[in-house]
Amino acid sequence: MKIGVYFCNCASNISDKVDSQRVRAVVGSLEDVAYFKTNELMCSEDGKKFLHDDILEERPDRIVIAACSPRDHEKTFMRVLSGAEMNPYLMQMVNIREQVAWVTEGVGRASTKASSLIKGAVSRVRFHKPLHRKSIDMSPDVMVIGAGPAGLKAALTIAETGRKVTLVEKRPVIGGQPALYEEVFPNLECAPCMLEPILNDVLHGEYAGNIELLTLSEVVELNGFYGNFIAKIRKTPRYADLNQCIGCGDCIGVCPVDVKNEFNNGMDNRKAISLSFAGALPNVPFIDMKACLRAKGEDCRLCEQACPLGEGIIRYDDEETIVERHVGAVIVAVGASLFDAGLIPKLGAGTVADVYTSFEFERLLSSTGPTGGKLRTRSGRTPETIAIVHCVGSLDSNHNEHCSGICCLNAFKFNVMIEHRLPGIQIHHLYKELVYPGKEEYALYQRALSNPNAVFTRYSDIDTIEITSTGDCIGIKTGLPETGVIRADMVVLCPAVVPSKDIGELSRVLDITEDMYGFFEELHGRLDSVRTKVRGIYISGACQSPVNIAQAVNQGQAAAGYVLSGLIAGKQLEIEPLTASVDKDRCSGCRVCLFLCPYKAVFLDAETQRPSVNEVLCQGCGICVAACPSGAMSSNHFTNDAIFAEIEGVLK
Amino acid sequence: MSEDDGRVVFEPKIVGFLCNWCSYAGADKAGGLQRSYPPNVNIIRVMCSGRVDPQFVLKAYSAGADGVLILACHLGDCHYKEGNYHAMQRHRMLLRILSEHGIENERCRFDYVSAADGDKFVKIMNEMVYTIRELGPMDRLNCWSDNKLKQGG
Ligand SMILES: Cc1cc2nc3c(=O)[nH]c(=O)nc-3n(C[C@H](O)[C@H](O)[C@H](O)COP(=O)(O)OP(=O)(O)OC[C@H]3O[C@@H](n4cnc5c(N)ncnc54)[C@H](O)[C@@H]3O)c2cc1C
Repeated sequence: MKIGVYFCNCASNISDKVDSQRVRAVVGSLEDVAYFKTNELMCSEDGKKFLHDDILEERPDRIVIAACSPRDHEKTFMRVLSGAEMNPYLMQMVNIREQVAWVTEGVGRASTKASSLIKGAVSRVRFHKPLHRKSIDMSPDVMVIGAGPAGLKAALTIAETGRKVTLVEKRPVIGGQPALYEEVFPNLECAPCMLEPILNDVLHGEYAGNIELLTLSEVVELNGFYGNFIAKIRKTPRYADLNQCIGCGDCIGVCPVDVKNEFNNGMDNRKAISLSFAGALPNVPFIDMKACLRAKGEDCRLCEQACPLGEGIIRYDDEETIVERHVGAVIVAVGASLFDAGLIPKLGAGTVADVYTSFEFERLLSSTGPTGGKLRTRSGRTPETIAIVHCVGSLDSNHNEHCSGICCLNAFKFNVMIEHRLPGIQIHHLYKELVYPGKEEYALYQRALSNPNAVFTRYSDIDTIEITSTGDCIGIKTGLPETGVIRADMVVLCPAVVPSKDIGELSRVLDITEDMYGFFEELHGRLDSVRTKVRGIYISGACQSPVNIAQAVNQGQAAAGYVLSGLIAGKQLEIEPLTASVDKDRCSGCRVCLFLCPYKAVFLDAETQRPSVNEVLCQGCGICVAACPSGAMSSNHFTNDAIFAEIEGVLK
Repeated sequence: MSEDDGRVVFEPKIVGFLCNWCSYAGADKAGGLQRSYPPNVNIIRVMCSGRVDPQFVLKAYSAGADGVLILACHLGDCHYKEGNYHAMQRHRMLLRILSEHGIENERCRFDYVSAADGDKFVKIMNEMVYTIRELGPMDRLNCWSDNKLKQGG
C-alpha cells in the first residue's frame, strides 16, 4: 500500500510551532509511507492545485493530510480528491493546528504530539474503504394531515409550485379550530373573513387542482421512508357527493332525527344530516350514519327526496374505503386540545350550570353557535357579571407546568367581545400570571384593562378556587380575604392547551416520537421545530407546542419550505455513505440495535428476521455499533478496525 | 518522562474520544482561543460519544495508555438526540469492569464539553494530566495484561 502524507504549514500558523522536519523524521520511516510533502497553504487555490496534481502524479492508495481541523477543510480536500480521481474517503485529516500548534508550548513538544497523531492517522487510513454516495428516486408529492391553519398553509404553499398534495382531514369541515371562532386576537379580526380566502383557495383557487382534499379521513398506516412513503388512508363516507352538491341545505330541514351537536360542544342539537355549522366549508352536508334512521333499518329517504338536483347527490350506498397514496414527505398538523377542566372538580365544569370552557364560550359568542352569538344564561337571563378564570390546569405542577401562551390573550379577546355585546357588564378576571408577548398583544391587554367594569384579581393556586351554584347565580370562592366570594352569572374557564388523543395515535401510526409533555417531539426546539427525528416527516402548529394562529401558519410554511428545498421533482435523493451496516451471519438476533436507534433506521427484515439498516434514515451516529454484543454492526469509515488502529497508532 | 527543574516528571499517555459535534468542536474552540495545555492527550474523533465502544477504552489501556477520556455533548444537546446518555451509561458500566481488574476509576473520565466550552476543555485536560501523573504509570503487569485483553476482545 502506498500512503502519502501532506503537511500544511498553514502560512506560518502551524510551521511556527510544529517542526515539519522533526515530524518527517518520525513519520517518513513508517511502514507504507511512500512520501512526506509540505505545502505552504493547502486550502488556497495554489495549495489545492498542488494536491490535485500531486495525487495524479503519485497515485497513492491512501493519503493523510496534517493541517487544520477537519471541521474546517475536510470537505474541501474531499472535493480535491474526487477531482483527482481518488475516492474522497481514502483520506484522513490530522488536526495539527487547533489541537496542536495553537495549544502546545514548545516546538519539541508540539512536534512530538503532531507526530503521534499522524502515526494514528497513518495506521487508521489503511483500513479506509472507498465509499460512494447512493441515490434513489423520490416522489415530490406530499401528504398533509390536518386542515387547520398550519396544514392549510403548508398545503397551499406546496400546491402553488405545482406539486400534488393530499390533504387529509378527520372532520367534515376544514379550517381547524379557528373556523369555530367569531373573532381572533390580537386585533379582533373577523375570523371567517380571515379564513375564507384561504379555504376557498384550497377548494377552488388557482392551484386547487393540485390539492386532493380527503375529509372525514384518517391515516391508518405509513410505510417507507423519506422520498418514498406509502400512506393508507381510511375514508369514511359523507353520503353526499362532494363535487355535485350545491349546498342549498334543503335536505337538512326535512331530517326527522335530532342529535347533540358536537361542533357546539353538545350545547344544542343538529340533524342526522347536517353541516358542521352554517358556512362550514366544504359547503356539503354529511350524514351521521350512527344517528340516521336508515342505520336502524328504516327506509327513510327524506333527504334524498328533498334534494333539488334529484337522485344521485345523496348516496346512501357509499362505503368506507382505504386509499393508498405514494408521497415523498408528510406534514402533520393535527392541532391540540384543551385540558379537561373536570379534572379540577371544584371549578364546576360540567356540573355547575353556566360554567363554560373557552371553546364552548367561543361557540356562545359565535353567530353560527347555539345562541346565534347572544349571551344568555341557561335560564334565559342576560348576565350582569361574567368571571373569566385564567391558567386552568397550567403553571401548576399538579397538572401541566407549561404556559400555553394564548389563553390570556383569548381572555382579553373575550373581555372586548363581551363588552361589545353587553356594554357595562362586569367582567372579573382571575389569573395566576398574565402573559401577552408580541408586538400587537400589549394593546389588547390595555384595551381590556381600560374597561372600567373589568376587575383583575390574582390568585395563588387554582386549588383555592371553588365554584358553586348559589341558586340564582354562581359563587366563586377565591381564598383571598380581600375578595371574598365573587358572584357571577357565567364563568369562563381558560384551560391549558394540551396534546390531543390524535397525537398519541398518530405517533404510533407514523412512528414519530412524543416529547415529555405529549406533544410531537421536534428535532431541535429552537433551530428545527418543524422536523422530527424521522427524515421526511414534519410537524406544524399546535401539535408541536401551544401556538397562536400566526405561529401555526409560520410553521406550516416552514415545513413546506423543507419539502420544497429537499424534495425536488426529478432530483434524486443523495444518501451519505457514513451509515451503519449489519453482518447478518454474525448477528445473534438480540435486537438491541432496533431499540437504540434514535432514527428508526434499523428495522427487522421480515424474511431473515435479522436487522437491516435503512441507509436513507441512518444518520451514522454509531450508537447501535457500540451496543452490538456480537460485533455484527459496523459503521462505515468509523469501523472498529480503523479506530483500533488509530488508538494503537497514537500510542506507538 | 520529561525533565522539569532537574526533576524527572512522568508524562502520561492519554487517549481522548471526542464526539464530532460538541466536544471536538470545544477542543477546536480552545485552539481558536490559543489556550495552551499539556500535550499528553491524543484525541480520536468519533461522530457521537454513543459510538465509543467499551472495547476502545480497553484497547487504549492494552496499547499503552495510562488514562482515557470520553467527552460528550451536554445531556439534552446530543446531535443524535440521545447518544450521550448511552455513552454515560456505558462509562458507568466500564468503571465497574475496570475496578474489578484493578484499574483506578480516575483513569477513565467521562465529561461533557460543548462547542462553546473551550475553557472547560482546557481545565479537563489539565486536571486529567495532573490526576494521572499523581497515579503514576499504569501497572500493566498486575492489571489486565495485553494478552488477556486480546483474548477477551
Ligand atoms: C379557545 C381558544 C381560542 C383561540 N383564539 C385564538 C385567537 O383568537 N387568535 C389566535 O391567533 N389563536 C387563537 N387560538 C389558538 C388557535 O386555535 C391555534 O393557534 C390554531 O388552531 C392552531 O392551528 P393548527 O392548524 O395547528 O391546529 P387546529 O386549528 O387545531 O387544526 C387541526 C386540524 O387537524 C384536524 N385533525 C385532528 N386530528 C386529525 C387526524 N388524526 N387526522 C386528520 N385530521 C386531524 C382537526 O380536525 C383540525 O381541522 C385559540 C385557541 C383556543 C383554545
